[in-house]
Amino acid sequence: MLSREEFLAPLARRRTEEVVVTTMSVVRPWSRHSDHNLDFASADSAMGHAADLALGIALACPERKVLCLNGDGSMLMSLGTLVTIVEAGVDNLIIFVVANQTYEITGNQPIPGAGSIDFVTIAKGAGFKRTFAFDRADEFDRQLDQILSAPGPTFVCVCVEPGSEDVISRGPGEEARYLQVSLADWSKQMRDVLTERDK
Amino acid sequence: MADTVTAQAVFDALLADDMTHIVGVPDNGTAEIFALAAAHEDVRLLTVTREGEALAVASGLWIGGKEPVVVIQNTGLLESGDSLRGTAFRMGAPLLLLVSVRGYAKMVSSDHQINIDRAAGQVAQTMKRAEIDSVALLTEPTLRAWNVPCVSCRIDADVSQIAATWAHARLAGHPAAILLPYTLQ
Repeated sequence: MLSREEFLAPLARRRTEEVVVTTMSVVRPWSRHSDHNLDFASADSAMGHAADLALGIALACPERKVLCLNGDGSMLMSLGTLVTIVEAGVDNLIIFVVANQTYEITGNQPIPGAGSIDFVTIAKGAGFKRTFAFDRADEFDRQLDQILSAPGPTFVCVCVEPGSEDVISRGPGEEARYLQVSLADWSKQMRDVLTERDK
Repeated sequence: MADTVTAQAVFDALLADDMTHIVGVPDNGTAEIFALAAAHEDVRLLTVTREGEALAVASGLWIGGKEPVVVIQNTGLLESGDSLRGTAFRMGAPLLLLVSVRGYAKMVSSDHQINIDRAAGQVAQTMKRAEIDSVALLTEPTLRAWNVPCVSCRIDADVSQIAATWAHARLAGHPAAILLPYTLQ
């Protein structure tokens, strides 16, 4: 099982101009690694809708990679999105599921199927051709370049230790710029960035 | 002419407003819109697995600079409440929602009974009556509760309201809805 740092640090080191959509217990840890114009925290937002939001961005910006750092509880709330992603035919979307087996933000209650659910089998059943599962940091680090560079859509399940992250509170107390303003302000700013760069 | 709206008139109005994508879950009322989108080379159609997903995908498209329209039935609208609130609304995404109103005809034909129930303070009874499809009763009140402005499109002349409604959504920076009480022809 990876620590959160062992999952996030290798990603942050390799990240260049990809859109990164985070949600739930990954939001604040990622914000300690990254304060990029193309970071989008799907936080203080709707439950379980990070992957489908990321799909929309991937469809709108086909020349740009989109990474979604989703939770396992969040993924369970919208499993149908895996089918939609494959059907949409996007090759620039990578779904990472941070499998900590709990609803961490609300107090680490176990998710349904904790310890037994097989997300990779579900993703394969939805039609994903490129799937990966990791429970060791060295193996994750070794394969990450190839995961990030090859055409997708790609599904990656990473077993990560449960933590004790609390919900974010948008405002000056948060570290990253994208957590210091409202979701609406950041969304508008990000749309401006994406439409200018992807013209 | 009876109350009808043609799908082509609606589709043309959306095209005139720079629509790039249709995202949604089809039903009998909106099937023709999906067919028109599937056949149009400049519009991308994305059929999704649930209505809340449609709102999130559309919100992502909007961040990426596109102009999506969400097409769903009113039952699915109720399902998508958290996505509408937490994604589209929180993001300030001016999504246009086309919502087919299942149960509208039954609601109109039961208007007398509904008024009796309301006068007696028995609205909960109305929700259980066999002859009434309760989802129609809840559609407009729910949109009002969620602060989503809506207008009804009953005849082709109403199609002109689409542009005004979407323009208002863009100006205000939040979603707005067009209600479709009748099957698009």
